[in-house]
Amino acid sequence: MLSVLLFGCIIFTAPSVVWGVQVHSSPEGLYVHQMAHGFFIVSLAILMYWLRSMKLIRYKGWRFINWSALFFILWNLDAMIIHYFDGTEGFVTIDEHTWEGHIIVASQHKIPVMLYYFGKMDHLFCVPAAIFLYLGLRALAQQVENNGYRRGEKE
Amino acid sequence: MPIYIVDLYGSLLMIIFAFLSIRQVKRLRSENPQNVVWIYLLWLCYGLAGFAVSRSVGHIVKRVFITSGHEYLWLMLRPYSGAVNTIMFVVVASITLFFERIWKIYEHIMEDRRALKQAHEQLLYLNKHLEDLVTERTKELALSERKYRRLFEISRDMIAIVEWNGRVLSINPAGLCMLGWGDEDVKVKFFQDCFFNEEDFREVWKRLKMDSEVKNYECSFIRSDGLKFEVLVTGSVEVESERQMLHFWVKDISQRKNMERKLIQADKLASLGQLAAGVAHEINNPLGIILGYTQLLLRQCEEGSEVYDDLKVIERHVRNCKTIVGDLLKFARSAPTQKGEADIHEAITEVLAVVKHQFMLDGVAIKEKFDHSIPRLHWDINKMKQVFMNLLMNARQAIGKNRGLIEVETRLENGNVIIKVSDTGCGIPPENLPRVFDPFFTTKPTGQGTGLGLSVSYGIITEHGGTISVDSEPGKGTVFTLTFPIKEGMNESYEQ
Repeated sequence: MLSVLLFGCIIFTAPSVVWGVQVHSSPEGLYVHQMAHGFFIVSLAILMYWLRSMKLIRYKGWRFINWSALFFILWNLDAMIIHYFDGTEGFVTIDEHTWEGHIIVASQHKIPVMLYYFGKMDHLFCVPAAIFLYLGLRALAQQVENNGYRRGEKE
Repeated sequence: MPIYIVDLYGSLLMIIFAFLSIRQVKRLRSENPQNVVWIYLLWLCYGLAGFAVSRSVGHIVKRVFITSGHEYLWLMLRPYSGAVNTIMFVVVASITLFFERIWKIYEHIMEDRRALKQAHEQLLYLNKHLEDLVTERTKELALSERKYRRLFEISRDMIAIVEWNGRVLSINPAGLCMLGWGDEDVKVKFFQDCFFNEEDFREVWKRLKMDSEVKNYECSFIRSDGLKFEVLVTGSVEVESERQMLHFWVKDISQRKNMERKLIQADKLASLGQLAAGVAHEINNPLGIILGYTQLLLRQCEEGSEVYDDLKVIERHVRNCKTIVGDLLKFARSAPTQKGEADIHEAITEVLAVVKHQFMLDGVAIKEKFDHSIPRLHWDINKMKQVFMNLLMNARQAIGKNRGLIEVETRLENGNVIIKVSDTGCGIPPENLPRVFDPFFTTKPTGQGTGLGLSVSYGIITEHGGTISVDSEPGKGTVFTLTFPIKEGMNESYEQ
């Protein structure tokens, strides 16, 4: 007990350099966000794999959910690419002060410009994903109301 | 411009469809609130809704603040919006990963539920039909019990259930009859009491202990009246209500054994007959020549001379030899038979008439017990007389110098004519019984018997399609039993 107290005194009274909690500067947020997208992609890919291996895609509802997972994966990939371009210094400047806005891309190549332009419209992926999810759940609900699942049984 | 339109409308649509999805899952849950998959999907949809709201609100607020010139407000809000958004889709991704586990749990629950349902249905069915089922089962059991009880009772072999200490728990009527036991005997006797030799009992018990079964063990049992008979014992160890029981099946094979012995005897006598016939034929001719020349020489010699006496001795011995050879030929059935319709009782009476006087003088009484319903048969009556004479002479010699009784009995039994010649003589030792029909087998002193009497009788009886058997007990007497199938004789008679 005495030794613990002594050690505590030394630690708190005689520090020359503090190596305490690590500082997290701004780029870490972007990296965490990108990693979260990656994690989301992996989990959705695993979901698709299980849906196929369990042969659930034979049923309409689960087939829609499978499509939903695919579109969410595409959305995640799109979001990761756009976040990358946004995070690249000087690649793009957006004047967002009006409702129209202007995208000024530094690159002279057309492909990254086109890619950035379409990629910015990520809702083209995530909205269909949400719609497919809704359709899938609706089909499952209908299926349950019509037969087997009502009693907790498989079709 | 299109980007902003897509951004704003897309954000709104995301929120709308996320909440519509929640509604659909709730619809699913209303059908089965306990379903783990629906619970999982609900949590997934909650996560997605949270993600959609955080993301879409962030996008809309950003657009509004920047366009309305309040960029500083967005700069303040931005880190929170981004962080919440990140957390939300990490949460959604985490929930997604649990799909496989959740599905497996669901499948297990379904399996258990199905099994429970099945058991429940079975229970309901049993509950509903229990009385009927019990009645039906009882009927089946009663039927089965009756069937096996009947088998147990009508079996001609012994079936017995015995404890390890040998106590007989149950024995069928055939077993009781075989052993000559009464119902009371079962309570006091032990299974080992059935065995003639204790070694056999020990061997059977040893095999049962080692192999839990014994198959077709050949041994001898003993009846309550002391009669020994041969059996095949088959047994096994059975466990009934944690109690070891011995089940025995015992087959009486004494008849089969007798038949085997008779077959062996018949086979042996047939071989001897062939041999005897061969030898007799070969010797008969030279004997004829010797006798012929001896008689020629006798005519040339003067009666009373030494040579004449010698030739007479030769003639006498040659005649003896010829008699023996003649008997051998009779035994071998090579002598011709002249069958005709005959009355068995006449034949016996004629033979008895010859010997009766002398027998009575010797103190041997003769008792006749004839069944006069026996029809006339197709026999060589002279040969049959020879048989009766042989049997009577043997009986007389067995009685010896003592007083005794010879009984001749005839009867009709199951389509057979049975003739029994019994005496109260010395009997035949068991070791000699199998050999009494062998040619030249005799227990009489040398010169008093050739040992061919019974062999010749055997040959004649066989020739008439009959059989001869002997039962004897030393000191008490002997019974010779002749059996002739009546049908054969009568048919032949009709054919004649």
